[in-house]
Amino acid sequence: MNRRNFLTLTGTFTGGTLLLPDFLHAFGTRSNLVIGEQCLVFIQLNGGNDGLNTFIPYDNPQYYELRSKIAISKEAVISKNKGMGFHPALKNFATMQQNGDLTILQNVGYPNPNRSHFRSQEIWQTASDTNQYLNEGWLGRYLDLQCKEHQPTAGINLDNIDNLALKGNEPNFITVKDPNRFKIRNTNEEGIQLSDNPQLDFVRKIANSVTEGSDDIQKALAKSTTETNYPKTNLGKNLEWIARLIKGNLNSKVYYTSQNGYDTHDNQITIHERNLTELNDAIYCFYSDLKKSQLLQNVTLVVFSEFGRRVKDNGNGTDHGTAAPMFIIGGNNKGKIIGNNPNLSDLDNGDLKHQIDFRSVYATLLKTKMNFDYTKIGILNPILSDIF
Amino acid sequence: MNKSTLWSLRLGFSGKQSKTIENLGLQKFLEKSYAAAYDKSIPELLNNSPKSLTELKSIRKKIKETNPDEVKALLKTELKVSQEMKAWWLQKMITDAFPLREKMVCFWHNHFVCTYQKVKVNYWIYQHNQVLREHAFGNFKTLTKEIIQTNAMVRYLDNVDNRREAINENLSRELLELFTLGIGNYTESDIKNGAKGLAGLNLGEEKAVYRRFLENNDTITYLGKTGNFKVEEMIDIIFEQKAIPYLLTRKILKWFIYDNPSEELVTYYGDYFRKVDFEIKPLLNKIFIEEFSKDNAGSKIKDPLVYILQLMNELHVEDLNPKLVVFFLKQQGMDLFNQPNVKGWNGGKEWLTSQIYLQRNNAADLLCNGKTIGRRMQFSENENITDFSKQLLKVNLNWTKSENNKSIIAELSDRLLFQTDDAMQKDWENILKYDFNPDDESTKNAVLRLFNHMVKTPEFQII
Repeated sequence: MNRRNFLTLTGTFTGGTLLLPDFLHAFGTRSNLVIGEQCLVFIQLNGGNDGLNTFIPYDNPQYYELRSKIAISKEAVISKNKGMGFHPALKNFATMQQNGDLTILQNVGYPNPNRSHFRSQEIWQTASDTNQYLNEGWLGRYLDLQCKEHQPTAGINLDNIDNLALKGNEPNFITVKDPNRFKIRNTNEEGIQLSDNPQLDFVRKIANSVTEGSDDIQKALAKSTTETNYPKTNLGKNLEWIARLIKGNLNSKVYYTSQNGYDTHDNQITIHERNLTELNDAIYCFYSDLKKSQLLQNVTLVVFSEFGRRVKDNGNGTDHGTAAPMFIIGGNNKGKIIGNNPNLSDLDNGDLKHQIDFRSVYATLLKTKMNFDYTKIGILNPILSDIF
Repeated sequence: MNKSTLWSLRLGFSGKQSKTIENLGLQKFLEKSYAAAYDKSIPELLNNSPKSLTELKSIRKKIKETNPDEVKALLKTELKVSQEMKAWWLQKMITDAFPLREKMVCFWHNHFVCTYQKVKVNYWIYQHNQVLREHAFGNFKTLTKEIIQTNAMVRYLDNVDNRREAINENLSRELLELFTLGIGNYTESDIKNGAKGLAGLNLGEEKAVYRRFLENNDTITYLGKTGNFKVEEMIDIIFEQKAIPYLLTRKILKWFIYDNPSEELVTYYGDYFRKVDFEIKPLLNKIFIEEFSKDNAGSKIKDPLVYILQLMNELHVEDLNPKLVVFFLKQQGMDLFNQPNVKGWNGGKEWLTSQIYLQRNNAADLLCNGKTIGRRMQFSENENITDFSKQLLKVNLNWTKSENNKSIIAELSDRLLFQTDDAMQKDWENILKYDFNPDDESTKNAVLRLFNHMVKTPEFQII
């Protein structure tokens, strides 16, 4: 699927009549124009991010009662507003919120929550019901229907392993372990030794040189530069690469990456602060970079985790929980806080009850940003009108 | 990787014999492999193809006289038969309980190369293949004599054009250079004189025969001996040469175990090969038994045949059209009965390029998803393959149910990868997390994704 096909396709989804204004047609036939194309960027926080210590109900005495060891003190909470505020590490989330570019969805989850990392991630990635098992991801199903033919760069996953969310009938995405190697092409690799076994060394070099769609990626990288100084963290690097691909007009519809380390059963204060700092710094650079390039309106960044954590602490940490906040940055969102503040007195086995189904968020993203009929991939939840 | 799987892959085409090797022990397994019965009947697919020389000549004469279009039609039919013959052979490799014989046939097929492309008579190609099958574990000298005197070989190496005064050196050269002694162990005049000895060895009814009027009866000097030699005497002389065993033992070591065998090993086994008078069975036996005790996993890049048959076996893919596999092999540079030249497939690093690696990974993705491989291939040259793209395959991976993700990971990696490392282990524990539920329906799919990840690693390309 090239840009032209994609536009043609989205155009005909409206019942056969082309409702696109003329200027969009022009984009479909021009090859080098950035404006107008929408894409989604996902950051999956692996391990179950503690929502209550991320976007904090500092005004609720129950919060301090239930979390005597790990609560964030009222004084430390930043950007306080209507009983909620950010973890101090998220200072730039506050900035983005003030700029009107950050939407917070509260108590996002799903019915009959599963507290296994494995299963809950699967549910988020396939957009299935708790008792439904799908072998294709929600984005994979979306790309299957959007791409006329096999299009390896329709989705880009920056990770070590393939992501179930992108797995579809056709391999319309690629997983890139280390985008760095697109900089140095294999000609420079001749002398490098990757293994003591000469046969393995040989195969590894080949493996490093092949990625379907790598030519397209190469071209996009050649067209773009980084002027922003990204942090040298994993997430920082991944977002820097994603920004470069977007700026280089790669035209992928979906980018996916993840950050590990949120499974804070113990020593939560330190670990969580470190993670959120990495998250904050990386995202803010990405945000500023795109803003400077005047692309933020075309890029919607979504931050989520497979579940939140237990309301009551277990000492120095927290166990697996359920609903948690979800963040949406850019893409012309309305910058609102959607949903009620977490209700700490009406719990389900010690966990928060969800208020917004994550599939409603997916539906909204597909409908509003991608102009795609989400029921075609089996999502039946209603869209949310307040995000965009 | 556990040893019996490694050796199942080496002595066959997949991990299918791993349990048998484990239960019988290697020696017993080898004995059963040598003794296993094999198919001697002419396959039905050749029913309508011309067989004897007389038959062939009469058909050719007839169509030439009547209609030139029929010549084309005949060629097309025979091309189709050739495709079917590849599938026929592949089927043997897949289904034989003891595939070592077919592994050896394939070895010899790549040693005494003859391609359909040039020979153009399917029955002769079949005969050639069958000689290799009969002598797979026999005697190298006897096999060399037999194979040089097949119709396929005299046509393939142009001995049909080697006549009394109009000498063609092709067969004489390859007999020394590629089939027996190897470069550096003979002179140009040996080739010239050898060609005289072979002159007149031409197509016959069932096998090649000398034609009296085309023979060259000059007295020749061949590898130091002088006399009036024909093909059998020449081969006897070749097998008296000091260098004779090493080219073949090097190739056997390369075919089964090492991309780069050490010269010490080549000499060691080569000397033994001479000692047992070029009997193949004792040579193989010695090599396998002695190499089995060594720690030598990871010495060879998988050929396309082992790559795809192992995958199919792991996933228990049974309804995949063998012609698609044949086509995959062709795309991977291992087209059966059709090596690029008389040297055969070089193997080793030449098996892999970026393109081929990518294609292997695509095939793995497709099979793991229950799709047929090579869905775009039906658009290329081959009209015989209809559109299978929509066909779904039943795939089913064996693994022992467990509460523990690590034990499932270990079970799979133990039979798929010659080595693993911590980084890989971490990735796998991310695909199948510690808190997975073994009773969930979706676990089956997650294990399949784990498998899919493993078979796309560089490590899976090597045995």
